[in-house]
Amino acid sequence: MRRAPAVLAALLACAGASRAAAQDSVFGIRGLGLLDRGVSGKSAALGGGYVVFDPSAAVNPASLAGWHTTAGWAVGAGSFRSFDYGTGTSSLSATRFPVVGFAGGIGEKVVVAITASDYLDRNWSVQQTDTVSPRGTPVVASDNTQSAGGVTDLRLAMAYRLPNITVGFGAHVLTGSTNTSVSRHFPDDSAFVPYTQAQTTNYAGVGFSAGALVSPLPGLVTGASVRVNGRLRATTTDTAADVPMPVEVNAGFYDQPLPGLAVAGTVGWASWSRAAGALAAAGQARSRDVWSVGLGVEVGVLRLGRRPLPLRFGYRWRQLPFPIGGDATTPGPALSEHAVTTGLGFDTAGGRATVDLGLDIGSRAAGTLSESFTTLYVGLTIRP
Amino acid sequence: MSAWRSAVFVTGLAAAAAMGCQEKVTTPSRCPALCPASKVELADTLLPLADTADTSVRGFVLIREATYLLASTLDSLQAVTLIRFSAHDTLWTVSGTKLDSLYVGTQDSLVLTLSLAQRDTTVKNLRMVIWRLPAQFDTGATYQSIQPFLADSTLIDTVAIADTAIAGSHTFNIADSLHIPPGDSGVVSLAIGIVAPSKTALTFGSGNLSTAPLLTTYVHARAPFDTATSLFSVSPSVALFVLNPAPVQPPPGILAVGGIPTARTLMRLSLPKLVVDSASVVRATLLLNTVGAVGGFAGDSFYVVAEPVVRDYGVKSVLWPDSATSGIVLVHQGQSGQIQLDMAPILRFWGTAQGDSTPRLIMLRGYPEGSILGAVNFASHTAGALGPQLEVTYVKPYSFGVP
Repeated sequence: MRRAPAVLAALLACAGASRAAAQDSVFGIRGLGLLDRGVSGKSAALGGGYVVFDPSAAVNPASLAGWHTTAGWAVGAGSFRSFDYGTGTSSLSATRFPVVGFAGGIGEKVVVAITASDYLDRNWSVQQTDTVSPRGTPVVASDNTQSAGGVTDLRLAMAYRLPNITVGFGAHVLTGSTNTSVSRHFPDDSAFVPYTQAQTTNYAGVGFSAGALVSPLPGLVTGASVRVNGRLRATTTDTAADVPMPVEVNAGFYDQPLPGLAVAGTVGWASWSRAAGALAAAGQARSRDVWSVGLGVEVGVLRLGRRPLPLRFGYRWRQLPFPIGGDATTPGPALSEHAVTTGLGFDTAGGRATVDLGLDIGSRAAGTLSESFTTLYVGLTIRP
Repeated sequence: MSAWRSAVFVTGLAAAAAMGCQEKVTTPSRCPALCPASKVELADTLLPLADTADTSVRGFVLIREATYLLASTLDSLQAVTLIRFSAHDTLWTVSGTKLDSLYVGTQDSLVLTLSLAQRDTTVKNLRMVIWRLPAQFDTGATYQSIQPFLADSTLIDTVAIADTAIAGSHTFNIADSLHIPPGDSGVVSLAIGIVAPSKTALTFGSGNLSTAPLLTTYVHARAPFDTATSLFSVSPSVALFVLNPAPVQPPPGILAVGGIPTARTLMRLSLPKLVVDSASVVRATLLLNTVGAVGGFAGDSFYVVAEPVVRDYGVKSVLWPDSATSGIVLVHQGQSGQIQLDMAPILRFWGTAQGDSTPRLIMLRGYPEGSILGAVNFASHTAGALGPQLEVTYVKPYSFGVP
C-alpha cells in the first residue's frame, strides 16, 4: 500500500492528459455527442461481453470484487477511422484514454475504487466550403466548426463480498466541458477578413449505480447493474439547460464450460429517450432508448513462457441514441454500430503488471452515411 | 528490481502505443445530417454617418518640413522654390607643400546639383529659371511678395533639363561667377522656377529625408598661387517654396487630405454597438465622395490612411501606432467619385479590450505625408447623401445551442 500514492498520482496525471488529446467521430456532432466506451483492453477484446464482470470498467460496482490486492489501471486507445461523406472519404485518427482507476481493499470483504472514464465524447471538426455573395459579389467562404471536450464520469464505488453474492454501489459525478468554435475564412486576396466565434459549455451532473454478481452454478457467474442518473446541467456564460440522463441497465453472464475456455455476454439498455424533450426544446432531434449486445470468448491454450497467454475474440453491436439529421419533429436516421474484436493479455513484472490488448474493428452507420473504424486498446494494470 | 524494470518497460511501451497516434480530426461536412445546426450567415448594412463630427485642418507637415521642393506653372498651382545656401569657406588647406592654406581668389564656375523627384515626362524642353534673391530673404515670403525679385535684372541663368532626365541627381552649370556683396557674408540665395511649352511642375529633394540641393563653387587661389584650384559645396540653410494660390484651411463642408502644408481630417463616428463591440465584422468600408478630382502630378498616386485615435487632443490627437489597425486605400490623380476605405481593422481594434476605451475617432491623412503633391477633398457629413457612409458586412450572431 505504501506505493499506492505514487501509482494514483501517475494515473490521475494520465486522466488529466486525456481531455486535451481526445478526439472522436464526426457522428458526435448530434445530440450530446458520441457515447463513450469506458472499457478495459480485456473487455474491448471480448466485444464488451465481459464488461459487467470487468473490475476495470466503470459499469458494475460489484465487479470491483475482482480486485484482490491494491491495483491501478489505465487504458489508452488509438483509433483510425474512414468517414464516407457521400462524394468521398476522409481518413481520421484520434487517441483517447477511456478509463483510469485505482482500487484498494478494506479488510477481506470490501473493495473501494475510484475511476475516471469517458462518458460522452463531443470531439468533432467539420469543414464546409461554399460561395456566398455579400454585397452582391460572389466570394468563396470556408467554414470550420469544431468541438473539443466532453463529459467525464468520475465514480467512487465499493464492492462487498457476501457468501453467495457480491454487491456493489457507486456514486457518479458527471463533469467536463466543451469548447466549441466556428470560423469562416475567405481567400487571402479577398477584401473580407476571417471571423471566429467560440463558446465554452460546462457540464455537471450526478448518478448512482448498484450491481450484483451471483454464481448460481460452478463456473457460471451472472451479473447485473443499474445506474440512475440525474440531470446533466449544461451552462454557458449566458444560458443553461438541464438534460435528464438515462437509466442504464446491464446484465450478463460469464461461464467457463471447459478448462481454458470462457464465454462472456452482456446485454445493455439505456433510457436515452428521457433526454428527448430537452433536446427537442433546443431544436435538436429527439433521442431514443438504446440497446447494446456484446459477446466474447477467451481461449487459454497458449502460453508465453510459463505464463498463460489468453486469446480473446468477440462481437458487439449497439444503438446510439442521437439520430443523424432530422429535427425536433422529424427524426433522422438512427445510428448504430457493430464491430468484431480480438485481443490478448499477459502478465509481466513478476505478475505485478498485466497488459491487455484489444482490437476493435467495425463500422457505424446512419442512413447513407457510414464510418469504419479500427481501435487499438492498450490496457495496463499494476498491482504494486 | 528486474521485475520493476520490466514493468517500467511495458508501461512505456503501452504509453507509446496509445499516445503515438497523430490526431487528424477534420472532415468535410455532409449537410444537413452532419452539419452544425446553426449556419454562418452574413448580412450587409449601410450606416449613414450623418451625426459624424468631422473637421479638417491643414498644417501637419509644413512646407519647410516637406521632403520636396516645388516649381510649378500649373494653372491650379504655381510655385517657386527659394533656397538660401550657406557661405562656403574662404580658404583651403594644402598638404605636401610648404604652404598650409590657400585663400580663395576668383570663381571659375557655379554648379547647382538637384535631385529630381517628379516631373511630367510628357512635357519636353523643360527649362529651369534661376534668379538671385537677397541673401537674407524673408522666409515668410509669399508668391506675390517674391515676384519683384523674379525679374530680368536678377536672372542668373536659364538652364535646360534634358528630356531624358528622370528621378535622380542632376547637375546644372548656372554661372561662371557670382558676385557676392561683402554684406552678404558669402551667403547666396536663389529662386528656382520653370518654364516649358506647356503648364507643368517639377519637384526635387529638399534635404528633409531626401537629397538636398548643393551649390558647388569652383575657385582659383589668390595670386600668386592662382594656378591652384579647388571647389566648395554647400547645402541650404533654408529651402522652401511659395505657392499661388496660397494654402488656406479647408472650408466648412470639405474633408481635406494631403496637399502641402498637409491636411488631415478628424472624424468622430457614432456607431451601433453591434458594429463596434462585435468580432463578427468581416468587412467594413468607409465610403467617401470626392469634391473635385484628386490632385497631384499627372499619373501620380498616393494613399489615404485612416488611423484610430487613442488620445483625443483635437488636431494634435495621438494616433494608435500599429499600422495593422489602420485602413488604407490607394487613390490616383484625376480620380473622382466614391472612394472606399477599409475600416474593418479599426472596428476590430475598437472591439478589443485594448481599444474599447479609446474614442471612436479616426484621423484621415495622406501617405506618404509631406512627400507628394497629392491632395483629395471629400464631402463632409453636411453634404447629406454624398457625405461619409459606413458599409458593414457582419456575421449574424451564431447560435451554438445548449446543450
